[in-house]
Amino acid sequence: MSETPSRGFWAEAWARLVRKPLAVGALCFVGLLAAVAVLAPAIAGTKPVLCRYKGRIYAPCLGYFHRSLEPAIFARDRFRGTYPQNLRDKDPESWAIWPLVFQDPYRAVRENEWPGRPANPAKGDGHPNRLNLFGTDQYGVDVFAKMVHGTTIALLVGVVSMGLAATIGILVGAAGGYFGGWVDMLSSRVTEVVMCVPPLVLILAFIAILEKPTIWHTMAILGATGWTGIARLTRGEFLRLRQSEFVMAARAAGAGPLRIILRHVLPNALAPVLVPVTFGIASAILAETSLSFLGFGPPPPSASWGSLLNDARSNLSMWWLVVFPGTAIFLTVLAYNLVGEGLQEATDPRLREARK
Amino acid sequence: MTAPLLEIRDLVTAFHTPAGRLPAVDGVSLTIDRGRTLGLVGESGCGKSVTAMSILRLVAAPGVIESGRILLGPPRDAVGAAATDLVTLPEPRLREIRGGRIGMIFQEPMTSLNPVFTVGDQIAEAVLLHRPVGRAAARARALELLRLVRLADPERRLDEYPHQLSGGMRQRVMIAIALACDPDLVVADEPTTALDVTIQAQILELLAELRRRLGTAILLITHDLGVVAETCDDVAVMYAGRIVEQAPAARLFANPLHPYTIGLLGARPGRGGRAAGPLRTIPGMVPPPQLFPSGCRFHPRCGVARLPDCAAAVPAFLEVEPGHFVRCPFTRPST
Repeated sequence: MSETPSRGFWAEAWARLVRKPLAVGALCFVGLLAAVAVLAPAIAGTKPVLCRYKGRIYAPCLGYFHRSLEPAIFARDRFRGTYPQNLRDKDPESWAIWPLVFQDPYRAVRENEWPGRPANPAKGDGHPNRLNLFGTDQYGVDVFAKMVHGTTIALLVGVVSMGLAATIGILVGAAGGYFGGWVDMLSSRVTEVVMCVPPLVLILAFIAILEKPTIWHTMAILGATGWTGIARLTRGEFLRLRQSEFVMAARAAGAGPLRIILRHVLPNALAPVLVPVTFGIASAILAETSLSFLGFGPPPPSASWGSLLNDARSNLSMWWLVVFPGTAIFLTVLAYNLVGEGLQEATDPRLREARK
Repeated sequence: MTAPLLEIRDLVTAFHTPAGRLPAVDGVSLTIDRGRTLGLVGESGCGKSVTAMSILRLVAAPGVIESGRILLGPPRDAVGAAATDLVTLPEPRLREIRGGRIGMIFQEPMTSLNPVFTVGDQIAEAVLLHRPVGRAAARARALELLRLVRLADPERRLDEYPHQLSGGMRQRVMIAIALACDPDLVVADEPTTALDVTIQAQILELLAELRRRLGTAILLITHDLGVVAETCDDVAVMYAGRIVEQAPAARLFANPLHPYTIGLLGARPGRGGRAAGPLRTIPGMVPPPQLFPSGCRFHPRCGVARLPDCAAAVPAFLEVEPGHFVRCPFTRPST
């Protein structure tokens, strides 16, 4: 007892979490996914990660994140998205660092676009091979490149929609739980109303109304409907903690309501709230893939995992269109659920007491 | 005779529940002089904790202070200035009093500290709330306070979390927090109830010593008459929301006058723990607030009650000898 190093709640929870091999494995997988999502344009693409052109250094690969990030000079010089030949022809002095895999998630690679490389096979001939690790779809687009870029979309959907949901949920739940009375009455009723809204149906309705539905609309709706569980949990935690002795002690020491909420209640309520957020990320990813699978995802060309599955629906003989994205979705959702479960066990005080 | 540090006059705190209005504190008057220790004793549910919470207006809903005044005398360096009524003080000003001029110690040291912050952080927070000092100075003050409350190895404890400390150590930290801003009064609500007996003695000794060194007045709330005998200058005995007897501690123990006080003292085991025969008890139970009897609230359990007088009117709080007040017309000092 006297020699235990001084550790905070989160350090303790972390120490318990890393003792579970399954949770650690899942956490590593989630970390790997995050790395792939951030580095996607450097892993698979046809735009140089870095290149020197007419005396200046550019990073055209950023164009994969958003069109406006691609340096304008390449559009002015009529590159039309194909870099290797154009770079050499228009500036013999130029050099470039290329992505690990020269394949584009949005179009098929053409004959001799990369010196000596044949065009991507299309229409079901693109079995997995050396150049197309996971095969190609019916248009000849490389599945591996699509999946790498699809990771960005999947994680973005999960993190952005749950970030939004957590923000709304914590604010609503904290207000209701701490202040009680009519504030609680109002926030609880609003929560119950929102809980009755089926998010998928709402998204379908929005897609029908919107002229150009994007992935951001999906995230916004998933976030705006997915906060109810978090709000209820936060409310419960705040109700419990509001009565706790240390909150009373803080008030007796002269702390104001804002300080009590932010410093004394919220940090103690955060651990149980983190668990549904993790599970929520998994279900948001699943919701987005379901929508894309049904054909209501972002319009083509899109690299979403769900739209790959949708392509497979009409080309059932191309098994690689099912197996690889399906496995990716399965593993990702499983990993987030395992992380959530690990967190739950690591932060639950009852389980902690039992172990002593 | 200087003005008292804290004067409670006719305090009424009631809880408005679906079952009706429950007056947990019903007309309590108390005075605490500077640097003295007042013990407030009574059984569970008699309203002593609600009285303590009322002083800092910390009574949780549905509890409301309905009437009365709680007058806090001016700070030590401004003696002679007017007293402040805490009942009507606006909330922001009240926050300056809480922790600044009145510190509070709670019953449960295990749950009165925030589990996610270090001991040092929590003491420093109490300092920062009231003093215009920087983080480093607050931390230095925290260390000084831990030394003051005689916590072993204070430098290391500063960076430890509450769960790493024992109950007695945590209560010392709570005392350090209560003393952080040199308050004039410390309200200690059963500070030793949750601790084991040897630790109880240490904590009481510490409180007595701090009072001598710092000149802090203490309102000690307890149900333990032994604790009162050892530490208090004055004692007030509370029964069913009212003070029934108040006197200097020595006088009260030597010459209890109210039948309830006599009953309480008689229900204690003798010195050395050896009882001469079975302990005497007071028949019956403390009634819950919705069943408070009329007149003297003790009369259904009282051996000397004369009906119907005792059930008809609330007895006056009479000064039967200097400094000795009793709410019972049938007892007189036996000098």
